[in-house]
Amino acid sequence: MDISRRDFMHIAAVFGIGAAATGCVSPKTPAQISINDIYNFKATGNFTLLHMCDIHAHIKPLYWREPSTLISAPNLVGTPGFLCGDAFAKHYGLEPSSLDAYFDTHVDFEELAKKFGKMGGIAHIKTYLERVRTERGNENVLFLDSGDTWQGTGVALKTRGEAIVKAQNYLGVDVMVGHWEFTYGKERVKELIEMLDAKFVTQNVIGNDPFADEYEELIFEPYTIEEKGGAKIGIIGQSFPFTSTANPKEFTEGWSFGLRLDTLQEYVNELRDEHKVDCVVVLSHDGFSVDQEVARQVHGIDFILSGHTHDPSPQPITIDGTVIVIAGSHGKFIGRLDIDAKDGKVIDYEYKLVPIASNIIPADPAGVKLVNELYAPFDKEFGEVLGQTKNILYKRDTFFSTFDQLINDAIMDEMKCDMSFTPGYRWGTTVLAGDNILMDNVYEMCGITYPNVYTFDLKGKQIATLLEDIADNVFNANPLYQQGGDMSRLGGVTYSIAVANKAGERISKLMIGGKLIDLDKTYVVSSWGGNLQNAGSNLQENKIRAVYDVTRDYIKREKIVDVSNEGNVTLVDYDCGCPVKGSRSC
Amino acid sequence: MQRRDFFKKLGLVAAASALTPAISFASETKVVSKNTMSYQTAVDAITGGKTVTVSSKIKLKVPEIAENGAVVPVTVNIDSPMTENNYVKAIHILASHNFNARSIDVYLTPANGKAMFSTRIKLGGTQDVTALVELSNGDFISASQNVKVTIGGCG
Repeated sequence: MDISRRDFMHIAAVFGIGAAATGCVSPKTPAQISINDIYNFKATGNFTLLHMCDIHAHIKPLYWREPSTLISAPNLVGTPGFLCGDAFAKHYGLEPSSLDAYFDTHVDFEELAKKFGKMGGIAHIKTYLERVRTERGNENVLFLDSGDTWQGTGVALKTRGEAIVKAQNYLGVDVMVGHWEFTYGKERVKELIEMLDAKFVTQNVIGNDPFADEYEELIFEPYTIEEKGGAKIGIIGQSFPFTSTANPKEFTEGWSFGLRLDTLQEYVNELRDEHKVDCVVVLSHDGFSVDQEVARQVHGIDFILSGHTHDPSPQPITIDGTVIVIAGSHGKFIGRLDIDAKDGKVIDYEYKLVPIASNIIPADPAGVKLVNELYAPFDKEFGEVLGQTKNILYKRDTFFSTFDQLINDAIMDEMKCDMSFTPGYRWGTTVLAGDNILMDNVYEMCGITYPNVYTFDLKGKQIATLLEDIADNVFNANPLYQQGGDMSRLGGVTYSIAVANKAGERISKLMIGGKLIDLDKTYVVSSWGGNLQNAGSNLQENKIRAVYDVTRDYIKREKIVDVSNEGNVTLVDYDCGCPVKGSRSC
Repeated sequence: MQRRDFFKKLGLVAAASALTPAISFASETKVVSKNTMSYQTAVDAITGGKTVTVSSKIKLKVPEIAENGAVVPVTVNIDSPMTENNYVKAIHILASHNFNARSIDVYLTPANGKAMFSTRIKLGGTQDVTALVELSNGDFISASQNVKVTIGGCG
């Protein structure tokens, strides 16, 4: 086998040769970390791709704790996309207590939060982007956005995405794809794309309404060709393939999603053979593990800029010649990818996942002004102090996280149900122990366009089947059958789970209200953010209310909330939350 | 270009039905009770017990995760010269766990020119979709893929 220069670079990266590319910062305090430690980069080639994904409308800096449990099927354990905590730090060679360890893992999070402060925010992101644009020349830089940008905060919800489009125009996004974007509905998506300066490209959304003009037609341009640094760059868009099953169908009625790898291959070939591009990029919202599978099945892609699963990946991974990167979530990171491409091929590249440390990278005053303007109409509502939390409130983890538990507690308290479901999304926020909980934080956890909490009846057997079904979406050994979220969070329920078991046989000791589930009994269930109500009966219409209102009222009643991180799920076949590769322990 | 492709496909299917009016929603043999047929019964009824070989000559296109279990698009494409001596005689589409596993039987002749069929089938739940293909020499080949029919949940 020939080893090309590109292959050599990958091998070099694996063995830690050329450490400049790995972006590890030594454990210094903010005062000791110079901005140059963050900016430091071995500029390479003729153009730069800057990448962000899944900022979930966080235009202000925030705290965001990475997961302390990230369990997968045994064949995927410890592979990129299923790494957390110490296993993550070990895999990527992070120094304990460093800025990178703080950004990439949950380890000592609360202590390091005091040391390093908040993360992200468009004003700080902009400073970094401008720095690179100046260094490389504006005409040699593209800024690509993998989606999940328009949804996730109160300001996004109240302006139906418009505030975030303004933020993207300010940042100078060139190309984007989508997922939660679609939950504003087809018409609004089209309106927002009109306001957006960037191009919205997607090859995997096709009309499926036989009575519409767009039947069997592409809804969006499948790709765009951009010229930067003398190179022709083909960028194919891949929006979230399972939007119509993971989110309510009514938002995208008449549009069919799916991976569509056969047409993806056709567009790759078209870009190479007809348009003679120098570099083929897939801007994707498939998820990190799915994109590793895409790289195995589709040939001729140089780079996949991935998103959806919120993984920070300090180093790229290479599969069958395709380099895959992903840049975390919530605006915490910008990926910088310098590429040397000419004569129809990529010769070399350098990558760094850049932490947007808001206390170190100064804010661009124009960005601060824009954020203040966008928030001004809502300051009074969002700024209301609802209460205080004794312990850290966070989102993420495979089975349980404290902010979700708080939402379940609120629902159980108001709806007087036997059990409650809160969805296993991976977006949200973190509130540190002792801090005030603001209304803004509640929107950050559940600001969606279909916020209703429904209370209805489900048979014990339905509940058991449903949980097995959800478990198979999360733990299927084949990434193509995963939808990229975590297990639904349950209130009033405890269970044991053997992740490696066959589909339908993972869950045992399922208890509701402290008693073993009775498969023939009818239970009163409350749920939001999904479509379980369609499977139930006897919907209690008088109880329907938005989840953010239910949560707000509960916190105001409680004043001080005290949610422990003990969890309600017993993991039978793994010893810890962050197992290392080839093992079921840490 | 997408539209052209679609009409090309549509044309083929139309041609298939015009030349061979033998598409039947089969339920002729070994029926357990009315409109019920297990997967194995269906396979036996089609093959008469002959061996079936899994073959990469069949390109079975179905989604990994169905958007709507009531209308799951299935496309079967078989690499065959479709000559008098060597052609695909029949394409059978089966759903392993449907109440009636036998979804559709399509009979072809060399005059079809191409061994390809596209339709939508209903799936009662997560299961395997199989294309069972009879060749002109009497051999049976097949290809299967799991299709997840889910109520959804995460994002």
